[in-house]
Amino acid sequence: MLVRFWGTRGSLPVAPTAMAIRHKIANALVAADGRRFENSADAERFVDRELSFAAGSHYGGATSCVELEAGNGSYFICDMGSGLRSFGLDSMRRNAAGHKKTYNFFLSHLHWDHIMGFPFFAPSFDPEATIRIHAAHPDAEQALRRQQEEISFPVPFDWLRANIEFEQLTPGKSHEVDGVRIETKLQQHSHDSYGYRFTDADGRAVIYSTDSEHKLDKMDVEAAFIEFFRNADLVVFDTMYSLAESVSMKEDWGHSSNMVAVDLCHEAGAKKLALFHHEPTYEDEDIQRMHEESIRYEELTREGSPLEVICSYDGLEVRV
Amino acid sequence: MDYFLDRREDAVIVAVHGRVDEASWESFGAGLSEAIQQAQQSGLGDVIIDLQKLDYMSSRGLRVLTVAKRQGQEASVTISLASPNEVMREILAISRYDKLFTITETIEIRR
Repeated sequence: MLVRFWGTRGSLPVAPTAMAIRHKIANALVAADGRRFENSADAERFVDRELSFAAGSHYGGATSCVELEAGNGSYFICDMGSGLRSFGLDSMRRNAAGHKKTYNFFLSHLHWDHIMGFPFFAPSFDPEATIRIHAAHPDAEQALRRQQEEISFPVPFDWLRANIEFEQLTPGKSHEVDGVRIETKLQQHSHDSYGYRFTDADGRAVIYSTDSEHKLDKMDVEAAFIEFFRNADLVVFDTMYSLAESVSMKEDWGHSSNMVAVDLCHEAGAKKLALFHHEPTYEDEDIQRMHEESIRYEELTREGSPLEVICSYDGLEVRV
Repeated sequence: MDYFLDRREDAVIVAVHGRVDEASWESFGAGLSEAIQQAQQSGLGDVIIDLQKLDYMSSRGLRVLTVAKRQGQEASVTISLASPNEVMREILAISRYDKLFTITETIEIRR
């Protein structure tokens, strides 16, 4: 299974300012210390080898959208954040090369940052495309139609030309979709959210668990999450806040922390954790620091097999 | 994980040994509740948690600290942390709990 991150930012799309780019370039030039590069590829090797990710790249600013290449040839996409626009265009390139035009969406919930990409999803205008929107929320269709009403958007939902279907998922029940088994789990979030466990024919399992708060007064129910994550090859987890923020000023905002992510993955025996749904106010250096601290916390608390902690960014591909 | 309560003249000290994790957080929470109760009954305004001999504390243990802090506020008892070893110092920094709690170098040093 291949997991491709199209949008990894939480709550609100963000983009680096002109000053932020200038700052990165200036620092890279200082780090290069006058050396010559034969060509762009040579310079990129320098960036890869000698600059940190935050110094030489950018985590991205599109909101939640994660693609899974799995099953028997249709698309699997978690959430419709602003990252969906790029995925849509890329999928049309793949469709032109013969890819099946069936899109299976799985919605964690209906908040704006998780559906805002759909009005810009170009394949929805393709009459040959089939778009199946799987959601445990019974009001998923209402949410998507509402954001394309005239007061919000110039193109109404009914103008879309693709064959659009809504599939109601039942939490706790296993669903088979185009060669992939999907399990759904209720999570703590305003108007509820749902986590997904995707298992392919080879038994590879990927968890998508975002916008999920693990509450102070409900630690006794975390055993159910540990079972849901059990032996997963990859867990994509909402790590928007520090633990202290999540239990103080930002309690009840519906998000979690890097430390709870590491603990739950350790207990579940998961192999890899992807930090996800980054705080929009974080600069690249802040996200990189959170990643480094998460790796360190994993080392400090490890009792069994190592958990690989990666930090998602827009454009990251992970094969499991 | 073991904990030991010591009621001093000025505060109740909770010395925690071992690991506070998914297996022991409930017992740790019970210990902190007991310490708060002792402090309240003795008219003491402080519970100091001695972290010197703690191997580590996971997010569950840290969240128990937050619950205890709230219990303490209701009972007019202040919870503070003391003597963190190197591992605990790191964990308190990573979690940003060093911004939520007063941390002193030894149990003798008061806020």
